[in-house]
Amino acid sequence: MRHSRISRSPRRAVVAAALAAVMLPLSACGGDEGGSSDASGKVEGEITFQTWNLKANFKSYFEGLIDDFEQKYPDAKVKWVDQPGEGYADKISADAAGGTLPDVVNVSPDLVAPLAKAGIALDLDKSAGKYEKEYLPGAWKSHQVPGLEGTYAFPWYLNTGPLFYNKRLFKDAGLDANKPPKTYDELFDDAEELAKKSKGKVATLANVPTIEDFGRYGVPLMNKEGTGFTFNDTKGVELLTKYKELYDAKALDGQALTATPESTGKKFLTEAVAMNPGSALDLEKFKKDAPRLYKNIGITPQISSTGKDNMYVMGVMVNTRTKRTPAAVAFAHFVTDAQRQMSFAKKVAIFPSTKGSLDDPYFTKQDGSDETRVRIAAAKSLKTAVNYTPVLFSEQMKIELRNAVARALQGKQSPKEALDNAVKACDRLLKQS
Amino acid sequence: MKSTAAAPAPATTRPARASKAAAPRRIRRQLVTSPWLFAAPGLAVVGVFILYPFVSTIINSFTDKRQLVEGKYVGLANFRELLHDDMFWIGLRNSTLYVLVVVPALVVLPLLLALLVQKQIPGITFFRSAFYTPVVASIVVVGLIWVWMLDERGLVNAVLEAVGAGKVGFLSDQWLLLFSAMAVTVWKGLGYYMIIYLAALANVPRELHEAAAVDGAGPVRRFLSVTVPAVRSTMVLVAALSSVAAFKVFSEVYLMAGPTGGPAGEDTTLVMLVQRTGTGLTGRVGYASAISVVIFVVTVALMLLVLRADRKEDK
Repeated sequence: MRHSRISRSPRRAVVAAALAAVMLPLSACGGDEGGSSDASGKVEGEITFQTWNLKANFKSYFEGLIDDFEQKYPDAKVKWVDQPGEGYADKISADAAGGTLPDVVNVSPDLVAPLAKAGIALDLDKSAGKYEKEYLPGAWKSHQVPGLEGTYAFPWYLNTGPLFYNKRLFKDAGLDANKPPKTYDELFDDAEELAKKSKGKVATLANVPTIEDFGRYGVPLMNKEGTGFTFNDTKGVELLTKYKELYDAKALDGQALTATPESTGKKFLTEAVAMNPGSALDLEKFKKDAPRLYKNIGITPQISSTGKDNMYVMGVMVNTRTKRTPAAVAFAHFVTDAQRQMSFAKKVAIFPSTKGSLDDPYFTKQDGSDETRVRIAAAKSLKTAVNYTPVLFSEQMKIELRNAVARALQGKQSPKEALDNAVKACDRLLKQS
Repeated sequence: MKSTAAAPAPATTRPARASKAAAPRRIRRQLVTSPWLFAAPGLAVVGVFILYPFVSTIINSFTDKRQLVEGKYVGLANFRELLHDDMFWIGLRNSTLYVLVVVPALVVLPLLLALLVQKQIPGITFFRSAFYTPVVASIVVVGLIWVWMLDERGLVNAVLEAVGAGKVGFLSDQWLLLFSAMAVTVWKGLGYYMIIYLAALANVPRELHEAAAVDGAGPVRRFLSVTVPAVRSTMVLVAALSSVAAFKVFSEVYLMAGPTGGPAGEDTTLVMLVQRTGTGLTGRVGYASAISVVIFVVTVALMLLVLRADRKEDK
C-alpha cells in the first residue's frame, strides 16, 4: 500500500502542478466583487487611473496633476496607466471581464453604458451627487443611461468644432467663397453645383451621414424610453434621399462608403474635397501639413436644423469594484474639477464641462487669430450643444447604420428600406446588449 | 546464540533485496515522469493558450454569452441565427472566394519564381532577397502602402490616367477591393512559398532533367514531367497551408476595406465578422464563437480535402 501511495504521489504532484499552471492564470478571470459605493471615508490607499491615449502628449500635465492630488491627500497614491487609442474598448472590456479594470477610468458615454449595465460603473448620483452642481447640466446628463437610474461618470472635457471649407474650390466652381452654406438646403445645392462645375472631380463631402448627422438634421434617434431606435422616420429618409442625390451627382466622394474620419481628414488636407468638419486642433495641422489649404481655409459654423451643435463628451468613471472608493471618487472629481479642466484646456484645444468655465476670457476674448476665433465660436456653441450619439448606440450599431446607408447610396435598397433594416438590426442588438 | 545469529540475517538481506527492487522501480518511475516534466512547460502553454480557448469557444457557441454578461445555454440558437444572417453568408462567400483565387496562385506562382531564382547567375541573391522582402514586412505597413497606391489619387490611378485609361475605383468597388486584397495576399506570400519550393527543388536529382533532355524533352515538358512530379508533395503542403491561411484572412481585407468591410460590408470575411461581432463592450461572444466553430469545421474540411486529393494521386 505504502509503495503504491508513494509511487502515485509524484504523478499526483505533476497533475496538480499542471492543473495549477493551467488554472492559475484563469483564476484571474474571476475578478473581485469587493468595493463599496460609500465615498465618504478617508481618502487613502493606492488607486490606478487609466487614460485614453493621453500620455504621449500630456505626460507632464498628468504627472503634475497626480502630484497635486497626492499633496492634498498625503495618504493616497495614484498609479497612472495610459492605453493606446486603438482597441481601447476591447482593453476595457477584457479588464472588466477579468476583474482588472483600474479604479478610475477615462471613458466616453458609449463605453460607460455597457459598464453601467454590468454594474461596473459607480452611480455618482448616489456616491458623489454633491458635485453635480459644479458641471454643466447637459454634460452631467451625458453619462446617464436610458433604462438605468443614476449618472455613471464625471463629465470631463468637451469638444466641438466648425465646418472647414476650401475657399479656392468654392471660387473655382463659381460659388461665393465668402458665403458658405448655412442650411442643409444650401449645402446640398452648393455641393451639386461644385460637382457639376468640376465635372465630378471635386466632391464637397467625404463621409456618409452618421448617427450624429441624423440627429443634427432633426431626426428623432430613439424613443423616449430608450428601448428602440426611430431614425427611419420621414425626416431620416429625407436626409438619406438627399445624400443619395449627392452620391449620384458625385458631390459625395467616391470612396465615402469606406471612409474613416482619418481618411476624410486626409482628403480635405489634399484638397480632394471641399468641406470637412473639424476642431481648433485641425488648424495647426493645416498650417503645418497643408500651407496652400491653410491660405484658402474658410471657417463656418456646423450646419444644424435643430439650432444645437453636436458635441463630444469625455468622462471619468469610478469602478464599483475599487477597494478605495473614497480615494477613487475624490481623484475622479479632482481630475474633472473646474481648476484642472481649465488648465488642461489651455494645453490643448478642448473645452471644460464645468459651470462658468466657458465664460473665462480665454473662451470669450478675441485676439484676431483663427485659432481664437474657432475656440470662441466653439465655446459659445457648447453652451447649448448636444451629444447626438445615443449612449446605447454601440460600435456594431454604427456599422449596421453605415452599411445600410451604403446600400441606399449604391441603389441596392431604397432609403426607406435601408433605414428600416438598420433600425431593425440596431433594435435587435439593443435587446441583446 | 543460534537464534541471535540467525535473527539478523534476514535483516541484512531484506534491505538489499528491497534496494535492488527499488532501483529499477525508480528508473521506471523516472522513465514515466521525466518526459512529462520536460513536456510540462510546453503542455501548459498549449493548455492555456490553445486547448482552453478552443474548448471554451465551443462551449460559448452554445450560449448567449456577451462580453460583460455570463451567458446561459441556448442550444443551437446561434447556429440557427447564422443561417438567417446575410452578413454570415457574405463572409462565407468572400472567404471561400479567397481560397479559390489565392490558393492556386500561391501553389503555382512561387514555384515558377523558385525555378527562376534557382539559377546560379551573378546577382541572383539580390532577387531572392527582394522577392522575400514582402514576407518580413509588417502586414499593416504593406496594407497601408497598397491603400496609398490604389487610392483614387494614388500612384496606380495616376498611371492609368496618364495612359488615358481613366480612374479605377480599386477601393470603392466591392469586387475590385476584394481582388486587390487577394493580390496583396499573393504578393506577400510569394516569397515565403518560394523558399519552401527552393528547398524542394534542391532535392530533385539533376540526372532526371539530363535524361529527359537527352530524350528530347523541352523546358515545358521537363517542367511538367520532371519538376512537378518531384515537388508534388511540396505543392500539397503549400496548398494546405495557403488554403487555411486564405480562409482565415483578416488583415489585408480589414486594412483595405476598413472596419465596415468595404461598401455596405460586402467585403467582410468570416474572421472579420468574428472580430466585429465578438469584440467591444457589447460584443456577442456566444454568436462570435459559433462563427469561429464554423471556420474551424471548414478549415479542417479543407485540410482533409487537400490530403485526400494527395492520397488519390498517390494511388
